[in-house]
Amino acid sequence: MLKVINLTVFSKIGKKKLLDKVSFELKKGEIHCLLGKNGSGKTTLARVIMGLGDWAKVEGKINFLGKEIGRKKTFERAQLGISMAFQEPARFEGLSVEDFLLAGLRGKQKKNKYTRDKILKEALNFVDLEESILTRKIDQSLSGGERKRIELASLIVMKPKLMILDEPDASLDIIVYNEFYDLLLKIRRELGVTILLITHREEAGLVADVATLIEKGKTIASGRFRAVMRNYCQREGRQERCLLGRKGRTNN
Amino acid sequence: MKNIFLSSIKICGIAKEFETKKGLLLVEGNTIVEKAVPKGIAMKGAQRGKLVELKMTVGKGVKIKEPLFFCFGLSQAKAEQFVEPKIILEEGAEINLISHCSFPVAKANRHEMNGLFEIKKGAKLNYLEYHYHGEHSGTSVFPLLKVQVAEGGVFQSEFNLVKGTVGNTEISLEVELADGASSEIQTKVLGKSAKDIVSITDKVFLLGKDSRSLIKMRSAAKNGGKVFMQGETHAKGAGALGHIDCQEVVIGQGSTAKAVPIVMVENETARVTHEASVGKINQKELETLMTRGLSEEEATELIVQAMMR
Repeated sequence: MLKVINLTVFSKIGKKKLLDKVSFELKKGEIHCLLGKNGSGKTTLARVIMGLGDWAKVEGKINFLGKEIGRKKTFERAQLGISMAFQEPARFEGLSVEDFLLAGLRGKQKKNKYTRDKILKEALNFVDLEESILTRKIDQSLSGGERKRIELASLIVMKPKLMILDEPDASLDIIVYNEFYDLLLKIRRELGVTILLITHREEAGLVADVATLIEKGKTIASGRFRAVMRNYCQREGRQERCLLGRKGRTNN
Repeated sequence: MKNIFLSSIKICGIAKEFETKKGLLLVEGNTIVEKAVPKGIAMKGAQRGKLVELKMTVGKGVKIKEPLFFCFGLSQAKAEQFVEPKIILEEGAEINLISHCSFPVAKANRHEMNGLFEIKKGAKLNYLEYHYHGEHSGTSVFPLLKVQVAEGGVFQSEFNLVKGTVGNTEISLEVELADGASSEIQTKVLGKSAKDIVSITDKVFLLGKDSRSLIKMRSAAKNGGKVFMQGETHAKGAGALGHIDCQEVVIGQGSTAKAVPIVMVENETARVTHEASVGKINQKELETLMTRGLSEEEATELIVQAMMR
């Protein structure tokens, strides 16, 4: 579905090489983890795939569904079926949850009130939120958990082919992130969405099939989650605390 | 009611409030066209040359939920209007007043207002002012309003000029608060072209003990528009608290936004805070909406419209 080939990115300030010939492949229906420490280049990679950011130079290729998308704008990539949720979702003054969800709809889906309401209702049910939340504002009055679920609902209404989730599990406690991982499995299972999950949490092994390890802007390993995670832990010198997550969980 | 004013009421999104109104005052130019007020309210209007004088008194303890609707407007492209409203809310009175200022066909309109509101002990005025200045930036609007709020009284206001053009608009509001009185003032303005110049000054004097105020200003200057906003809070009363929150967005070349918060405290137990943000649209908000399939222009428009709601 997505092929990143020799992607090299230079920063605008200082012309620093942020990504250095990064390559990996994402297959349809996968939950693919991008692993790596803070500052390794995971978020930069996600932003470049999504067409966000102002870079001095971008080299290499990004193929999505067989087409080169490197020159397309963010909204064009979104309309092709890629979308992204941010680590700390934005808060908007005055914008209601309904307005925010509707932003992801196009054409007839948006114009027809019956269809529109149905899509919003289904998306909210999917992420276990009440319809009454539609009238609330996307501001500081929402809890962190509510805001993250709304972020997912807003991707679901778009019916994307690929969701890029940038550290969605950050700042969630153990109970909440277990529920969150269940939700990701449900999205994959019921909606057939492919997921690129950026994280540095080993617990992502509860849901991921495949992983790519990024270090200092370079691809270190890419393959089955366990193998890549083992590699990551060895490099971090903490093998004894590695790969605990998968135990007792069916990954489907 | 003339159809052009009804249209601008719809444009401003206050048609529902108009339908549910309890009373109406319509002033076209310097003529009082319609006047109907409910029981408990006394209203006198007089025309003196070019000037229209109005005095409305809401009786002691009179509480009316449904809005009273005032419409001041000009239905000709070149015309003037001068109004002097005085509104008194007697002790314990509570009303919602919507004032719609409408200049839908303006090419050279001038509107001046010199108003005084007196909110007596424990009374509450919820005041919404919606302006529509047409589509040709042909209006000059200069309203001055003084509000005196007595002990335990409440003044809540919202000024809204986000539909159509601005023209040349200079607004000045001054609020004085006695012991335990409070005010919340919101201003929303959208300048859309190089012909749109707006200057707004909201001043609050926290004179009484434990008085409270919030000044919230929101504006966007687009395509060469110029917006100046000054929020001032002066605290003298013991335990008085005030806050100024100003956000201005600049879009397109030649647009200018300027924010001036003025904070002055003359009592060691009082406190006033302020926050201001002036400049480009929040990048994170913009990027989020672009990843939902909106172009940068569509995303900007949605963010600005939401901010102005």
